[in-house]
Formats: sequence, C-alpha cells, structure tokens
Amino acid sequence: MAIQIGGKRLVDGVNITVEAGKCTAIIGASGSGKSLSCLTPFGLTPGEAQGSVKLDGIELIEADAHQMRKARSRLTGFVFQQPLTALTPHLTIGAQLQEAADQAGPQRLSRHELAQKLERVGLSRADERLDQFPHRLSGGERQRVMIAAAIVHRPKLLIADEPTSALDASLRGEIMALLDELRAEQGLAMLLVSHDLASVEGHSDDLIVMDQGKVIESGPSADVIANPQEEYTKRLMAATPRLTEPAPVLPAVGNMLMETEAVTVMFPRPGWRRGKIEAVVDASLTVSEGEAVAIVGGSGSGKSTLGRAIAGIGPLTSGRINWQGEVLPERRARSLAMRSLIQPVFQDPVASLDPQWKVQDIVAEPLKNLRPDLLRTDRDRMVEEALDDVGLGAEYLQRVPNSLSGGQAQRVAIARAIIASPQLLVLDEATSALDPLVGASILELLAKLQQANKLSILLITHDIASARRLCHRIVVLDEGHIVEMGDMAAVIDDPKADSTKRLIAAS
Amino acid sequence: MRALFSRDHWPLWVVLVLIALALVLPAVLPWTYDQIDWDAVRAPAFSGSHIFGTDEIGRDRLARLAAGTRVTLMVAIAAALVSLIVGIAWGATAGWVGGKVDEAMMRFVDALYALPFMFIVILLMVIFGRSILLVFIGIGLVEWLTMARVVRGQVMALKQRPFILAAEAAGTPPLTIILKHVLPNIAGVALAYLMLTVPQVVMVESFLSFLGLGVQEPLTSLGILVKEGADDMDMTPLGLLLPGGLLVLLLVCLTIEGERLRDIYS
Amino acid sequence: MMALVARRLMTAIPTLLAIILASFFLMRLAPGGPFDGERPLPPETQAALQTAYGLDKPLWEQAWLYVSRLVQGDFGPSLVYRDFTVSELVAQGLPISLTLGGLAIILALLIGISAGLFAAVRAGKAADKTIMMLATVATALPTFVTGPALALLFGLWLGLLPVSGTSQGWSWLVMPVVALALPVSGAIAKLTRAGLATVLKQDHIRTARARGLPETKILFRHGLRPALVPVASYLGPAAAGLLTGAVVVETVFGLPGLGRYFVQGALNRDYPLVLGVVTLYAALIILFNLFADLIYGWLDPRMREG
Repeated sequence: MAIQIGGKRLVDGVNITVEAGKCTAIIGASGSGKSLSCLTPFGLTPGEAQGSVKLDGIELIEADAHQMRKARSRLTGFVFQQPLTALTPHLTIGAQLQEAADQAGPQRLSRHELAQKLERVGLSRADERLDQFPHRLSGGERQRVMIAAAIVHRPKLLIADEPTSALDASLRGEIMALLDELRAEQGLAMLLVSHDLASVEGHSDDLIVMDQGKVIESGPSADVIANPQEEYTKRLMAATPRLTEPAPVLPAVGNMLMETEAVTVMFPRPGWRRGKIEAVVDASLTVSEGEAVAIVGGSGSGKSTLGRAIAGIGPLTSGRINWQGEVLPERRARSLAMRSLIQPVFQDPVASLDPQWKVQDIVAEPLKNLRPDLLRTDRDRMVEEALDDVGLGAEYLQRVPNSLSGGQAQRVAIARAIIASPQLLVLDEATSALDPLVGASILELLAKLQQANKLSILLITHDIASARRLCHRIVVLDEGHIVEMGDMAAVIDDPKADSTKRLIAAS
Repeated sequence: MRALFSRDHWPLWVVLVLIALALVLPAVLPWTYDQIDWDAVRAPAFSGSHIFGTDEIGRDRLARLAAGTRVTLMVAIAAALVSLIVGIAWGATAGWVGGKVDEAMMRFVDALYALPFMFIVILLMVIFGRSILLVFIGIGLVEWLTMARVVRGQVMALKQRPFILAAEAAGTPPLTIILKHVLPNIAGVALAYLMLTVPQVVMVESFLSFLGLGVQEPLTSLGILVKEGADDMDMTPLGLLLPGGLLVLLLVCLTIEGERLRDIYS
Repeated sequence: MMALVARRLMTAIPTLLAIILASFFLMRLAPGGPFDGERPLPPETQAALQTAYGLDKPLWEQAWLYVSRLVQGDFGPSLVYRDFTVSELVAQGLPISLTLGGLAIILALLIGISAGLFAAVRAGKAADKTIMMLATVATALPTFVTGPALALLFGLWLGLLPVSGTSQGWSWLVMPVVALALPVSGAIAKLTRAGLATVLKQDHIRTARARGLPETKILFRHGLRPALVPVASYLGPAAAGLLTGAVVVETVFGLPGLGRYFVQGALNRDYPLVLGVVTLYAALIILFNLFADLIYGWLDPRMREG
C-alpha cells in the first residue's frame, strides 16, 4: 500500500496484516506515516491510498463512498488519541453511544443495555453517565466511553490510534489492559498505533516499525524486541528506557546544595469565589551537589508547580528554600546572584523560545542580566561555546525558533540554561514532547553536561523509566503531597504508595 | 515590505490612492468645498469646471468629496490611535497582572460592552452641545473595548508561555519582559485590530454626522454629504450615489485589509 | 441553566440601574433647566413648578423619585411633544421599532447562516470565495447609505415600494428591514463559515465520520451547533447595531418609531424623552444579551455552568 497527499508520496510499500483475535502494533516517530497508514484506507485523512487493502474480503481502495461508509461503520471501530475532543460536546454520552450502536444497522438498545455497555468498560455510575455531556467526564472516563462506542456494534477490527498517549501516566496501564480484555472476549482484530515502544510491549502479537513512510522491520513482537535486525530498530530499542535494564553508573554526589522545608503553594480560585486550591503541600526535599533528583507524578500532582517555586518562576505561599545556608525568597524577591544559581528547561521546546528573537539573542539573554560586566565580544564567544556544548554550530546563531526542529529548539533552550553557569537545572518534562530517539539524545546530552559541569538536576517527569537513567533519588508526588521518597533503585524494587505502583506499572 | 506590492493588497492601495486624492485635490481644484458657484446650481457632471457637477446650492461636488473624505479619515485615524493606546494599556495591564484585578477590569469592559453606546454618545451631545471633540471622546470610548479584550487575551496566553518564564529565570526585569517579549509578540494582532477599528470609526462618525449630531457645518464629512445627497436625491441622485459609493468603497477596502492582517496574526 | 440566568440577572439589573442614574445625573449637569423659556417666569411660578416636579428636593431624592416612577412605567412629560408624556410616545414608537428589529434579525439569521453553511460546504471553491466577498461587502454597508439608495432605486425610479411612512399591508417594511438586515447577515455569514471551518477539522467530526454517518448528518448533527457559538456571541452586539440602525432607517423612511423620537428629542434637547429612550434601549439590549446567553447554553452545554 502507498499513500499520497496532494501528489506527495508519504507512505510507500507498507504491508500490514491483522488476524482475528490478534493485535498488530505499529511503532514510529511523528511523521513516520503510522497513523496515515491505518486511517487513510478508511477515508479518514485527506490522503489517497493506492495498492490493496482488504477487510473481511472487501477491497477498500476501490470502494465507492457507500461501500466505504459500510466498511467504516459495520466492520471497524476506532479509538483516537484525544479523548477530550473526540466526543461531540453538545450530545449526551447516551446519545453518542446509541448513535455508535446504530452504525451497523439500527438496533434500539434499552437504557439498561446502554448502561451495561458503559459498565463493561469500567465506568461507575453508568446510568447517570448516559445523561451527562462529555465535559463532565475526566479524560480517562471519556476514553472509556470512546472504547465502549467503538465496540458496541461488534466490529471485526478495532483501530486504536495512540489510545493512551494523551492520558495521565497512571491510567495508561488500565486502559491497555481493558483493550486486551475486550479483544480476547470479542475475538477482535486490533491495530494499535503508538510512538512509544514501551506502551505496546506485551500487548501486541505482531510489531511493525515505521520510519519516514517506510516499514523498517516487522515480525512477531517478541522476536523484534528481543532480536532487532535493523539499525533503526536497534537505536529505538536503546532509546526506550526500561525498568528492567541494568542500573546506570551515576556520578558521585557531593555536599548538600539545596533543601526545601515544607514548601506550600496555593492558588486563588478563579472568579470571585473564596478559598484556595492547594497545589503543593508541605513539600520537603533535598538536592546535593552533582545529584539528580526525579520529581515524579501524574498530571495535576503539583510536580511542575513545585519545580517552578524552587526555580523562582512560580508562586511560593509558605515554606522555605535553603541554598547552602542562605534562604532563597519567593520569585520577585530573588536577586540576580540567586537567579544565576538555578535555571529551568521546559517541556514544549518551541514555546520556550521567543518566536521574534534570534537564537543568538535568546542564548545571550541570561548573560545580559546576570553578567552585565561582560564585554560584547566575550558574550558572543560564550554564546558560541554554549551552543557548541549542546551540539549546535555557529550557523544556528542567526536562525529563528520557527526554523528549528523540536530537538534543535530544546538544545537552544538548554544552551540558554547553562550559559550563566548555574548549579541546578530544573527540567520540567524536558524530553516528553520529543520523539523517542530525539528525547534519548537530549537525555544523554544532559547526563554529559551534568558530569562536565558538576551540575545538580531536578528532573520533573511522569516517566519513571527514563528518570532512572539519570537520577540518584526519586520523589513521588500525588495531589500535592510527597507520598514517597528515596533511592531510585530502592523505590522501584519496593514501592510503598499506590500512586508509585501505578506509575511503575505504566512505565 | 515587498509583500505590500503584491496583488493581494489592492484594497490597501485603493485606500492610499483615495487618501492621496483627498489631500491633493483641494490644492488643485479651482473651487473650495464651501464656495458657492451662483451660476451653476445643481449642475450636471462634467459641466464647465465642475467634474462631478454641483449640489443644490451650487458647491462643487468633487471639492466637497475631497474635503469630506479628509475630515472623515482624520477623525477615524485619530480615534483608532486613541483606541489602540487605551486598549493596549488596559488589556495588557489586566492580562499581565491577572487575578482579581483582571477580573474587575474585564467585568468593567463587559459592562461597557453591554451599553447602548451610540445612545450614550448622543446623550452626551445633547447635554454638552455638539462638537467634534465629543465625537472623538464618544468614539474613543466605544472602540477601545475590543482592542482591550484582544490584547488581554494575547497577553494572558503569552504569560503562560515558557519563554516568558525563562526570561524571568534569566533575570530579565518585568518591564523589559513586557517591552521586549510581550509587546513585540502582540504587535501584529494589535495592528490588525487597529486596521479593523478604522472602518468602525468611519461608520460611527458618518452615522452621527448623518443624523446631524456629528461634524457640524461649515465643516463637512462623508456622513454629511450622504445626508445632503439623501435629502436631494429626487432631484440629483448623483449627490447621494457619489459620497455613498465612496464611503462603501473605503469601508470595504479597510475591512478586507484588516481581516487579512488579523487572519495572519491570530 | 437557571443558575446562569439568575447570575446574569444579578449583573444586568445593577448595570441598568447604573445607566439610568448616570444618564440622570448627566442630565442634571446640562446647562439650562427645562423651564428656561424665552421669557423668564416669575419667581413664584418657577418655585411652584420646581415643587411640582420635585426639583427642590436633594439630588439623590430626585434620582430615587425618577427611578421609582420609571419602575411604574412613568417616564415624565415630553418637552417637545407638549401634548404627550414620554410614556405615550414610547408606547407608540416601540412596537414599530421592535417589528423592524425583530424582522431584521430573523432575516439576517436566515440569510447569514444559510450562506455561511453553503460556503463552508463548498470550501475553497469559487462559490465560497464569491459568498465571502459578498459578505464582506455587506458588512461594510451602512444603513444610512443603503436606506436612501434602496429608496432611490425601488421607490423613486421603479416605483415598486413606498418611500415614506407606514402604509397598509407589509410593503412599507421591506426596504427598512432589508437595509437593517444586510450588514448583520454579512457578519453572520462570515462567523458561520469560520465557525464551521474550525469545527469540521475537530476530532469529534472524525469520530462521527468513523461511524460511517452520511456527510449531511455529520454537518447538521455534529458540526452546526458548536459552529454557531460565535454567531450566538455576536447576537448581543448585533442587537445593539440593529437598534442604532433603526434610528437611521426610521429617519430615512419617515417611520414613527422609537428612533425617530430619539433623534428629534436629541436635536431639540428634549431631556426626558432622550433619557427615557436611552433607558429603554439599554433595557432591550441587556434583555437581548440574556437571551443570547440562553442560546449559548443550548449550543454548548459547557456554557450552562457559566
């Protein structure tokens, strides 16, 4: 099969086979054509497919609009990535489920039957949900509704396009388990699309690795993972952190550098309502010289808020941040000298750089404020050195952020963070918006910089496996409270808190 | 800059040519806008030195059109600039400070939005007498609201962007952050809405003048010309069609250009 | 839903009160009192009049008196139309203005939404571009130009429709309503088209398509309602624009509506009349905004919680 959009050939020579009751997973970075390959034959992308796609004996490529609609509705069910937007906002859950049930010919389901379908996918208070609009449900709940709607008409094939990657880390395991269960129960064939190798491992029978519109490697999952043949697959395997891999050798740790005492951050409620929202409560932790500490938690756990309070770029309601005996005050009260101690790197690399500025000015910004004594020529030299440290040449000096790839932009952001020689980097999900190979190379770069500059690192992430590659210790945050803290290896071997267990299961 | 000369920007060039004509014509024409030619009342087009003829008391139509366009555009540009400054100051403050201050400031804007503004302006005119200054104040009072809302939305969105936080961590002082990071990033949108404010103001000014509540004789504006033309349209339709057509042409061109800019920047 | 209405009313009533009080005090600031005739009245007559109209009382008490009379529908006497009270003039003019405005908004919604829908379905094609160009031109058509131009064409030249006053039947309504509706319909067409363009790209449309629904059903059941949210939020400003436009249209076509009394009052400094009409206009606009909020809630259930 080949796929074109506007005459441009984006996917070429792809062969995919799924058998009833089995699961085939397609893995690839963004832009590899994995979603295109699965959705285009069903007319769900602007592209045009060529070759042959046979579904239960029907040829999809030559199907007219009517046959195509039939193939889409009767034989197939779809689950998409974004549960928050995949449901129509002004129709009730019940109405949408009924609509999904009708797609394979009208079948009037009673209210009780509809509720049962929701219960089957693990939704509590199912009867109540039927009358609710999607916005009343959480992301995980909405994805369950999507799954219920995708199988209610008993299709033969279920296509799941990144079904868990928009969900909170702690929910991913449960949703994947639910999909496995339903597949076995209904004898469904399942096509699972993901950018994350770790998330499909153990759930798929066959594995297809795609890159730049081509199939790199395919075969039974166990074989491909245990014994990859192609260079790209090998690199992908190496870039995918696993809790089972041997523990990394980490640099030695020095004296205590920073200590937080009962840090609490509260936000006022929006509007005129009284009361506060507690984002972080009584968080006490330490970071030593040369040490990397992971702050791990699901979305809304307060991990970013805590990181921002420490970095002095977010509010601090009460508590103290001590830095080698000195107290670091709340954001506006920080002196320039204190600013130069801690620098942040953020998740979205493109949004981290002012689109109006050139790379040269972006990287020089901290120097201008924190080292006003420097001459212009020294500053220019230091900017070039910093770019060199992150693996970018002088040709990037005049570029604007929009012309950079995600990985390049993140390197620029890191160059800006290290140029004023800070002692602590606060990395807020710094690799999670990047493709696995790029993310792994950024992680390697950070480890290198940490060794070379004796840097301490606070790594904020939802992904324990990747944190394990860099960090000495782990702090687990749940709903604003620190629920577990300790040596990385010790916590992974014997997690105490429920949320830690969930996060480990998801890795 | 070269993009300005592309064919897509014809509306902008129409406006610029009209402005140039409005500025140059009064100096070139043999008649001024308030001069009465006693020999040629309601003269048809192309009679003698009156290219578009004369009105019901013998004043040269072309001279009056040029003068009216000039007044209308002057009021419009000045009022649009006032709305730009007030709107940016108000919107940026609300968006940047956030919290209860933002809440209060935007509630105020919402409340003003709900007012029947044109009527309040007219009420002001009734009470304090009609003057061009009041036209300004009245129009300025209405038009900054949209600008404030747009700017506030942009600033709110920008404030959450990591590069603003990174600038704070880099020790950049708040005022510098606003001047160097925030304002350059809202300039495009502000320009687009400035462009869209101009036709709005033209509309309001012409409306008031049409009702006899805006620009006063002997000054003239497109609204007054339309009014005069409408009163005399059974005798000389040209008196209505010329200023009416010119006004619509200006409004259409300014709107198209403004919407294009807005679509680019937002 | 009721909570939303209640909360909106909580802000609407103080807003209206603020407008009334502000207008009232502004009026008192105005140079010259209502009894300054050409010949000065004898002092005792003046004092008697002042007492009769309550002008000798403290300002706050006068304001309170004015508001409490207003609540009972008493707007005071008109100074220009000597034989009428403001309430009588309003009672005469309001139905005409409401008919004009109501018909215009219905017409504008009909034309605007169908044109926007049609353009969105033909996105990128010639029909789409033509409709959007026409819509832009329509939004830039001021009623004080289209009104007289229509009168010139259909009234004076073709003689098809009456140019002035209310006549038997409905023919007198055609030109005023069309002149009013044109710019609003252009704006609605653009908003509908833009709303649909955004919504049709969204994920829930793909979900509906994946269910094999026919395109028309996707458009009307899943796409149209969220796409109309911007139209709903435009209804408030549109109502204000229609009322302002009605002032012009009533003047141009010689209709005895609220707007014409307002302009006459404004030109003749008839304070009670102007104040009364402003209050009424404010109330109408606030009421209409409330109505628009209800539509909003129907279009998007998220809005119901405010």
